[in-house]
Formats: sequence, structure tokens, C-alpha cells
Amino acid sequence: MNPAMVWQSLVAIGTMVFIAYGSRVLGLLVMARVPLGPRVRRFVDAMSSSVLIAVITPMIVHGDGGTRLAALAAGGVAIAWRSPLLAIGLGMGSAALWRWWFG
Amino acid sequence: MAAHENSVRLDGQGTWRGIRMMLPLAAFTVAFGLAFGVASVHRGLADWEAMLMSLFVFAAPSQFAALELWPAPVPLLPLAAITLAIHTRHMLMSAALYPWLEPLPRRKQFAMVILLTDSNWAMALGEYHRGERNLGILLGGGIALWSAWVIGTALGLAFGGGITEPERFGLDVIMLCFLLMIVVGSHPRAIMVLPWLAAATSALFAYWWLPPYLHVLVGALTGGLVAVLLPKQWFGADAS
Repeated sequence: MNPAMVWQSLVAIGTMVFIAYGSRVLGLLVMARVPLGPRVRRFVDAMSSSVLIAVITPMIVHGDGGTRLAALAAGGVAIAWRSPLLAIGLGMGSAALWRWWFG
Repeated sequence: MAAHENSVRLDGQGTWRGIRMMLPLAAFTVAFGLAFGVASVHRGLADWEAMLMSLFVFAAPSQFAALELWPAPVPLLPLAAITLAIHTRHMLMSAALYPWLEPLPRRKQFAMVILLTDSNWAMALGEYHRGERNLGILLGGGIALWSAWVIGTALGLAFGGGITEPERFGLDVIMLCFLLMIVVGSHPRAIMVLPWLAAATSALFAYWWLPPYLHVLVGALTGGLVAVLLPKQWFGADAS
């Protein structure tokens, strides 16, 4: 790898680091300017769980059968036993099994 | 309830607790990191490039997305745009932590979000809603995940070529299961069904119609907005 390419790559990675950390800080900076009243708290609380919902929904809708089965298993475990390890284990197992069977 | 603002703290004991709570998921994160190491070897990245990314970017989705643009010369503008779109959710996540971080001095607030990522954020916020105020939970979870991610990347770079199809072992559903666990296990109030439905629907439409990775932003903001627009009595007295 010649020096020019090394520099180019370093700049690219630097850009990623800047954006990745910058976005984490930006959230704090914005909130520091917003007075924390009950309405803002309600917004932030609902927004925080909605982040997860928004991440999960397309995964399930566009996932294969294995992904959906995994979601079902993990959701069931979460309701019944609240054990993260069991939820992940059963989810992985059912996805792997589904793909082994139908893949 | 009234005194919780001044009991916010950050200590070694809480950090250790956060590390231990995150250990099961960190074990899986080693596998993720391994997959990234392997993928970057296949993609022709130098070891130091992959390692620098895992050490300092510390974000699986944007690192995997960046692989598509490698090797150098990397088009910087697309790289910045993709990274920005993927990281809008971290902006929302740190914003959601602000009520907890507020009592800290500014410099500590900034330090606390260095290792902020999806899983330790979700875990910490879940604990926060159950009354936890020790920020060590967030930091410890971050330390566990970051170490696992870096170790996994190193393993993948060293023994690249082993795992080529992570989905055969169900490795791709780990994150989904964990996040589901957090959402469902948080004992949401029934009223949250409405914001969540709005979030899910708007996220899906954004996923179909908007540029990639913006659906999280759209869904999260819609969910928050709906919660604010609903009558506040529905949320009970302690809406915080």
C-alpha cells in the first residue's frame, strides 16, 4: 500500500469516527438547549422505545421465516420468563433450525 | 421519586455490574466482530484498517456498510452520507439519555457517550426506567461490548475464512432477539400501544419510500410525537 492510499484510508476512517461520535454528542447538545418539562420527557421516553420498534419492525417484515420464528420465540420468552440469554438462545436456535430445515 | 435527580452517580461497582450484565451478549458480539474481521479480509482491507475501525468507530452497521466502499480510494461523500444516516439513531439514543446525564458536568456527559451503542443503551435505559441511577451500568455495558467487538475483529482477521455464512447459525438474529427482549420485557404501559403502532407503521413506510437507514429516525420521531399529542391523563400521574 503506498503512502497516498494510506492517507486516503486514514481520512476515510477519520470521517467515520467523527460522524459516529459526533452524532452521539449532538443528541446531548440538542437536549441541553431544550428545557426538560413533562411534555419533553414524555416525548423523549416514547421516542426512546420507538427507536427500538422502528429498528425491529422492518427486520421482521422483511426477514425470512427463520427471522420471524426467532422473533416469535424471543418475544414469547421475554413475556414468560424475562431472561435475555434464553430469549437470544431460543431465537438463534429456531432461526438456525428453520434455515437448516427449509434452506 | 422526588429525590432521584441527586442520586445520579457513576462508580466502579456500578460499572462492574454493567459489565457482568452485558457479558452474555458480549459473547455474541465476539462472533459479530469475528464476522466483521472475516468480511474485511475478504474485502481486501489491511488489518490495521479494520482494527482502527473497530477500535474507534465501534458500530457494526456502519462498519459493514463502509466495507462496500472499500478498498481505497474510498469515495468520501457517499461514505459520510451513509455513516450519517446510520448514526441518526445514536443521536436519538443519547438524547433519550439526557435526563439521566443532566446532573453531570458537560465533559463527563461527553465521555459517557463514547461507548454508547444500541445494546448497552437499551439495557441501561431499561434499568433507568426501573429506578436505576448508576451510570456505571451504561459505561460497563459499553466496555464489555467494545472489548468483545475488538477481540472478535482481531480473531476474524487472524483466522479469516472460517465462518462465511453467519446466518446459517442464526447469528444474524441475535440483535433482533435482544432488542425484542428489552422492548417486551420493559413492562410497557398499555397506552404505549398507540405510539408504538405509529412508530412501526411510519418506520415501515420510510423503509420502503425513503433513502436507506432513515426509517429509524422517522419511526422514533413519530412515536414520540404521538405520545405528546395524546391526552396526558392517559399516561397517569408520573409520566416521567
